[in-house]
Amino acid sequence: MASKTNDPAAHADDIVSRRGEVSASLAHTCSRIKDVLTYSSAYLVFIAMIEVLTVHLVLSLPLNPAPVVVGLVTFSVYAGDRIADADSDALSTPERSAFVTRHREALSLLTAGAYGVAIAIAITGGPLALAITLLPGGFWILYASDWFPTLGRRFKRLKQILVVNSAMVASAWAIAVVGLPLAFAEATVTPLSGVVFVYFLVDTFVNTEIPNVRDVEADAADGVSTLPVVFGIRRTRHALYGLDLFLVAFVALTLAFGPLTVALAGAILVGLGYALVLAWFVGRTNAPGRLAIAGESKHLVVFALLLVSTAGI
Amino acid sequence: MHPPTTVVVPLLFGSIATGSGAAILAWRERPNPGATPLVWLLGGQSVWATCIIFSLSAESVSETLTWTKLGWIGVMIVPVAWILFALEYTGRDQYITRRSVALLSVVPVLTVCLAVTEQYHGLLYVRPAGVTVDGAVVAEQGGLWYGVAAAYTYLLGVLGIVPILGLVSSRATAFRGQSAALLVGITTPWATNILYNAGALPSAGIDPTPIAFAVSGVAYLGAIRRFRMFGANPAPTWRAKEFLFDHIHEGAIVVDGHDTIVEINQTGAAVLGVDVDRALGSPASELLPVNGPIQADGGRDFLTVGTESTSQSYDVTVTELTDRRDHTLGFVFTLHNVTRYLQQQQRLKVLNRVLRHNIRTEANIIQGYAERTADETAETIKRRTMRIVELSEKGRDAIDLFEDAVGEWNQSSLDSIVGDCLAGARDAFPDVAFELERPTEDATIPDGAAVVVNNLIENAAVHNAGSDPRVSVSAWVESDRAVVQIADNGPGIDEYELDILDSGTETPLRHGSGLGLWLVKWGTETIGGSVDFEPAEPTGTIATLTVPLSGSDGRTPAPRDG
Repeated sequence: MASKTNDPAAHADDIVSRRGEVSASLAHTCSRIKDVLTYSSAYLVFIAMIEVLTVHLVLSLPLNPAPVVVGLVTFSVYAGDRIADADSDALSTPERSAFVTRHREALSLLTAGAYGVAIAIAITGGPLALAITLLPGGFWILYASDWFPTLGRRFKRLKQILVVNSAMVASAWAIAVVGLPLAFAEATVTPLSGVVFVYFLVDTFVNTEIPNVRDVEADAADGVSTLPVVFGIRRTRHALYGLDLFLVAFVALTLAFGPLTVALAGAILVGLGYALVLAWFVGRTNAPGRLAIAGESKHLVVFALLLVSTAGI
Repeated sequence: MHPPTTVVVPLLFGSIATGSGAAILAWRERPNPGATPLVWLLGGQSVWATCIIFSLSAESVSETLTWTKLGWIGVMIVPVAWILFALEYTGRDQYITRRSVALLSVVPVLTVCLAVTEQYHGLLYVRPAGVTVDGAVVAEQGGLWYGVAAAYTYLLGVLGIVPILGLVSSRATAFRGQSAALLVGITTPWATNILYNAGALPSAGIDPTPIAFAVSGVAYLGAIRRFRMFGANPAPTWRAKEFLFDHIHEGAIVVDGHDTIVEINQTGAAVLGVDVDRALGSPASELLPVNGPIQADGGRDFLTVGTESTSQSYDVTVTELTDRRDHTLGFVFTLHNVTRYLQQQQRLKVLNRVLRHNIRTEANIIQGYAERTADETAETIKRRTMRIVELSEKGRDAIDLFEDAVGEWNQSSLDSIVGDCLAGARDAFPDVAFELERPTEDATIPDGAAVVVNNLIENAAVHNAGSDPRVSVSAWVESDRAVVQIADNGPGIDEYELDILDSGTETPLRHGSGLGLWLVKWGTETIGGSVDFEPAEPTGTIATLTVPLSGSDGRTPAPRDG
């Protein structure tokens, strides 16, 4: 009898236990996916592709392989950079450094293969598309490696030089994001494309400096001069306000006198408002990693607004 | 640009993707030996394939020709990068200098210049040769210089393969795998190119060599990842052999079978007082103490160079070099500096004479004067003088040991050594009761053992001050060694004395009571034996000497020290 009366209870426990195991397993899987997306920089691939699609939308370009190429190059360069800096990143981002170190072999192969495939696809767009595709890799080599090892101490890694480091990163990505869709479409450069280029250039510069606040100790130890290292966090915040406000003024001016449409200007200004709010959190949040991701995610907001305004979605 | 649809184009895209990916992997492996030239090699092949695609997708004939000409940059980077890679990867980077790279680049640079300016000379022409079914313009290339460039490319290809081939037979599996992958990677495009130039490949006028580079890319990737090309690198092995030959303290001279010096290291040249370059190619018999035909392992010879006060003596050893079939290839002479050893030997001879004759003579004179008086002081003088004589004799025994240690031991029978030693002890110590257990089986051992046995027996007898002093000696043979055991009922050896023996040296504050136990230690060391001391019950010491048996020829080389 006792065993019979106990049977249903045991069965219920089993179900509860299995449900618990399933939810724990699901949570574990989700956690692992999140780790892979964030630590390997895969989320940046998605955002980079959205940026290129934004350019497509703004410049009314036909869909071409540019988003795929930029996505592959983004993954290759960012994950490659994280492999190269895995040791020095152990101080500022120990979890990411541990993830990269653990999967170094696979990431190394994937990043190399991704760039190889990106180059092969870019060739279908012609020499200009190929050149633009090679640009982020070339800039990364100039940026991160001891390119002038025999020319004396005056020539240090460009990554170590104030403003030059972030400006190089911003230039490479702005050229790739704006130039590649144009090259694939064999479209001519217009004033509107110039405006879009300036927007992505300044915006990428801002997004490059936000994570530098978190990395200030590691960068200082590595001899890398960034805005937070040289001017401190408060002044960096002010500089980011200044850059975002410059973009606001630039968008307003181009709306008034240039080729920018109201819908486009509105989307960008909403994005810049979002950026100014994020700038306020610089140095004031306990989750600087999330702040960096939020900064990159601004392009999702702008793209969504553009989709709504242009396509009526 | 219109997209080409030729069937080879997807393969070219594959070649570019794998080549670029492998180049990035190789780039990350810098500064490992071979990484940088491999980046250039893979970059060159990618440029070549890219230019072919652009030439096929060009919208005008002139554009096609321009891309074909630019493709020569990639074409000519490949062989130079390959030879540099092969040299650096296999550790022959001393051949890679700015000058050698510049010289290697002369033909490639000239080729690219001739390709770009082909309309002015025709030495390397690039002409439109028709249109494919897909509408792509096909360029034909040729001319006198085309043959030169192709021959140069093949030459560098073969020269690069030679050192890699050496690794195929490496004892290290990783290097075999790496080199096999590299050979597949380089021979596939080269073979394709040769077949294409010979007209043996149906490729619609398109050079399929860059397609074959897709195979190369995969092979190089395999070498890098599967066989850890940059994780386990053979480069140091080649350099290590050179380093060892050049930097060992011994002089080393390699002589071929015709008495010609074919290799000599710096030490060897310094010993012979010649310049390395002058020595190479010289007859060995003019520089080395060679009497008649060279014979390896034919005994030792000394070579003395320099004037009398600064002369240096060298022990010359000749070792034969043979091929796999045991045919003589040549000889290696090694010159080991033995000047200090010979000087030491001369000093020992002088000391031996002084201890053997002079001290005994002086002691006899002192004893003679002491005997003219008959008081207690005279007895003390005589006793102490005898002690000096004993010490000098032990010192002489020690010198004999050291001299014999560097020569060859005479051999004696175990039974006779034990018997003689005990007979001597009975004469010297009549108050001590000796027992002898002779070996049931006799054996031949180095006669240096006599010094050890003598001192062990003397030690057991002289310090035994009891009312019934006894010393028993037994000897036997155990497989390949002889054992002599000396047991006494004395007070036992002071631990302090044994500690000093174990430490191997004495200091002014920490020293033993005499030379006896030192002779036991040095004697056992020089004959390759060992000795153990154990306390006996109820009192006394058991000393066990173990000595290796001599060879069947009755003589055995003494162990060399140092």
